[in-house]
Amino acid sequence: MEKQYRLLYDENLCIGCQACNVACRVENSVPDDVYRLQVHLQTKGEFPNLGMNFERLSCMMCENPPCVSVCPTNASFQSKDGLVHIDERACITCKYCILACPYHARFINPLKNVVEKCDFCYETRVSKELSPACVSICPTDALSFGDMRQKNSFVHQKSNKEVLVFPKAHLGTKPKVAFIPNRKGAKS
Amino acid sequence: MAYFQARRDFLKVVTTGASATVLIPGSLGALGNVALKGEDKFIRSICEMCSSRCPMEARVINGKTVLLQGNAFAKEMGTSLCARGVAGASQLYDTQRLVVPLIRAGKRGENKWREASWDEALSLISTKLSALKERYGARSVLFSAKTGEQYDLLRSFASAFGSPNVFSHWSSCPIAIESAFEHTFGEKLHRDFENATYILNFGHNLFEGLDIPLTKAMAHFSANPSKKLVVLDPRFSVIASKANEWHPIKAGSDLAFVLALLHVWIRDGKYDKKFIEQYTIGFDKLVDSVKETTPQWQQSLTGIDAKVVERIAAEIYEAAPRCIIDWGHKATTTKAEYQRTRAILMANILMGNVEKEGGIYFAKTAERINTLAKEMIVPELNDPYPRPRIHEPRMDGAGEGGKHRFVSRSHGVLTAIPEAILSQTPYEIKGWFLTRHNPLITVAHPQKMKEAMDQLEFIVVNDIYLSDTAMMADVVLPESTYLERDEGISKSAFKTPSYAMRNRIVEPMHQNRSLIEIIRDLAERMGFGSHYAWKNIPELRAYQAKGNAELLQTLLMRGVASFDVPPLLALQSSSVESFCERYPKSSGWRDSQGLFSHFLNHLKTPSGKIEMYCDEVERAFSGYGVPRAVDMDVTQGFAYVLTSGKSAVHTNGHTQNVPYLHMLLSDNPIWMNPLTAKAHGLKQGDTFYLQNDISKEKATVFITEGIRPDTLFAYMGFGRDTPQLKRTHGKGTNASKLLSLESATLCGAMITNVGVNIIKA
Repeated sequence: MEKQYRLLYDENLCIGCQACNVACRVENSVPDDVYRLQVHLQTKGEFPNLGMNFERLSCMMCENPPCVSVCPTNASFQSKDGLVHIDERACITCKYCILACPYHARFINPLKNVVEKCDFCYETRVSKELSPACVSICPTDALSFGDMRQKNSFVHQKSNKEVLVFPKAHLGTKPKVAFIPNRKGAKS
Repeated sequence: MAYFQARRDFLKVVTTGASATVLIPGSLGALGNVALKGEDKFIRSICEMCSSRCPMEARVINGKTVLLQGNAFAKEMGTSLCARGVAGASQLYDTQRLVVPLIRAGKRGENKWREASWDEALSLISTKLSALKERYGARSVLFSAKTGEQYDLLRSFASAFGSPNVFSHWSSCPIAIESAFEHTFGEKLHRDFENATYILNFGHNLFEGLDIPLTKAMAHFSANPSKKLVVLDPRFSVIASKANEWHPIKAGSDLAFVLALLHVWIRDGKYDKKFIEQYTIGFDKLVDSVKETTPQWQQSLTGIDAKVVERIAAEIYEAAPRCIIDWGHKATTTKAEYQRTRAILMANILMGNVEKEGGIYFAKTAERINTLAKEMIVPELNDPYPRPRIHEPRMDGAGEGGKHRFVSRSHGVLTAIPEAILSQTPYEIKGWFLTRHNPLITVAHPQKMKEAMDQLEFIVVNDIYLSDTAMMADVVLPESTYLERDEGISKSAFKTPSYAMRNRIVEPMHQNRSLIEIIRDLAERMGFGSHYAWKNIPELRAYQAKGNAELLQTLLMRGVASFDVPPLLALQSSSVESFCERYPKSSGWRDSQGLFSHFLNHLKTPSGKIEMYCDEVERAFSGYGVPRAVDMDVTQGFAYVLTSGKSAVHTNGHTQNVPYLHMLLSDNPIWMNPLTAKAHGLKQGDTFYLQNDISKEKATVFITEGIRPDTLFAYMGFGRDTPQLKRTHGKGTNASKLLSLESATLCGAMITNVGVNIIKA
């Protein structure tokens, strides 16, 4: 692999403001009422002993992506950088990948009638050495992005300092998105 | 309520997109496709999706997509921007925004319009306003705007016209804080969140009412395990969830909690005695007024255990002076709002955190820096909006006499308007010019306001949308959005001064004009064009910058200008030292301890010192000279208190119809504790009524553990009556309709906590 991308989501810094959600929509012309990226807020507990959880939902860019292996037309594929992409021209909208994705990150673009998801803004930003739109826009620096092979990168340094959680790690998908759990979240 | 529900919306497919659109007259949608001219490069400007005025930059790609992000030339921004800011393009392209002037065709408020040319609309306005002036005097016309450059401009126009009756949104928002600061420090101070170690927050909702630099600083504070954040709020807000401790305080009782803190510190002698002695007056009066306000006493008022007050008082004293007792932004909770805010200021003063790192500080304006440095470090600006004083009494008595004598004459009391119009007292009011101001959503008792507006002879509204208020107008002017406008230079001053400028990103979508262009044209038509030293925006900017081409060039290229002045805190010796090193002449100001202490003994207060007791206030409002336990009841005998506030995706009454934001939060069901819902037999999503002496309003319920059982909460800005806001029309509840026109004592603030009963539908 030429790059080893990682997107870090620090739940401690996230305030659920949806700036990332709107930035993603603008950057990628995501149609109304569907989302490549959302942050959900959920209050748990019983008054007054409460906690709020922040959950970022998007493609996890798995190293072992179930969506790729089920795709009958190779429309879902993995690039040499390990990123998972969709070739719109080859997509037959069979929805196998939607069912296979354990993160519910894929949807049908109702205007194009093809499957769509987060692609780390690869074409418009990451391929030009820029951060994805959500990372760049975040008002509270809750997101960081970079190449883990660069030891002096912020994402590498922060990854070493913090306890990381890889969503649904037990499935063996090896996500490139890692969470730093909320120290003040709901007590489970 | 997508925003607060854990729901997987990825698979949701639009089914309503193809429904037939009825075109709104004068709207962008009625024009068909409009080409957009822009350049494929970043242009730096200032956001206007809310009033925080964050520096941002924008790029137009393929003449279509407008990408917006923070302006990294402003260090405190980086490339960050909030959801509202990023959605600016969605507002720009909204087919429902206005692009052609409208003239009323039916009865007032009937929603019948005809399109007009700019010439016809402006000619009608100048003729009508001149006729009102002729017949009833200039004072018969009111002018109102939200604060910012638009307000400065309108205030100047009103002054040239001859009316003293100018209103900003202050009295419906931060006026209590402004008054309390003026009387205590002579001006408003700022908070050094970055360097504080302990913050006590009274519902200052920075994670839902966003201002990027402040929000960013607060997020890093709350995520830092070595710092402590305590939040008092009847609701479990996002910032409450990020706190080390959340105390669900009873609505309206902040004052009792703070008075108890003051009591404990004074009882134990745990306060900065040297600071009090050197820089303040009236401490003895405060000692008297908090003798009885014990932690035990506050317990029944706030619902917070006395032991908690004792512990928090000790913790804050331990952290002092790196502590902030945060007064918030808009905090109009009770009739005693002024006292609440003054008490919070007293708490900061006792901790001696003024002009110290991690405490609170005076704005370091260009003028102040230049005076302290004894040389011209930062260019100073001309005021392009002159406003000679009008020697006529104001219709609300603001700044003159009576109950509004301490309200700023420049900002006025909005809640006084309906009664004055309806009774034509103290004199006849016949016209109103509003710009980007929507009192029928944002001010108390809009039913009465509407009745009053109906009595007026002439109303002009300048706005982007046909708002509820615009519905009542005779002429509606379709202003260009902030992405289509050039404006003057705006000042900002925190620990150092800086300037910013709004630069046009794209050409106006149609023939929309900016308020600067509108006002300048009207002034010419009405015969007072010579009031302004400039004719157009380039001239305005050149005049304001005093011909400083370098400054203008920087503002055009970078959107912001800062001056490499070291951050200055007058009582922090290290800070004063670096300032004096950089500007050696300033050493003359240093005292024997190496501090700029003279600065704190020459304030704009009557005594020149920090006034814990205000003699002038006490003489006019007995018992108000020092903070005291008064007027804290907000229930007025009703079973519940209805509170309101902001969400991170909307701004007051402005953005609810912006497509991208509407998608995120399209309604405002009322927050209710499960115990309360159960007691009234309400299930999630049920309809019910909120009722008090003012009104009975329909609402739906959002049942959540995140609120006290005796309190209800609504996000602001919903419950729109205007059919032209097609997305929001008829959705949610306008909490303003339940608010009283009675304002808070002394400061004239609208009171946004109100007693209500729950009536099952």
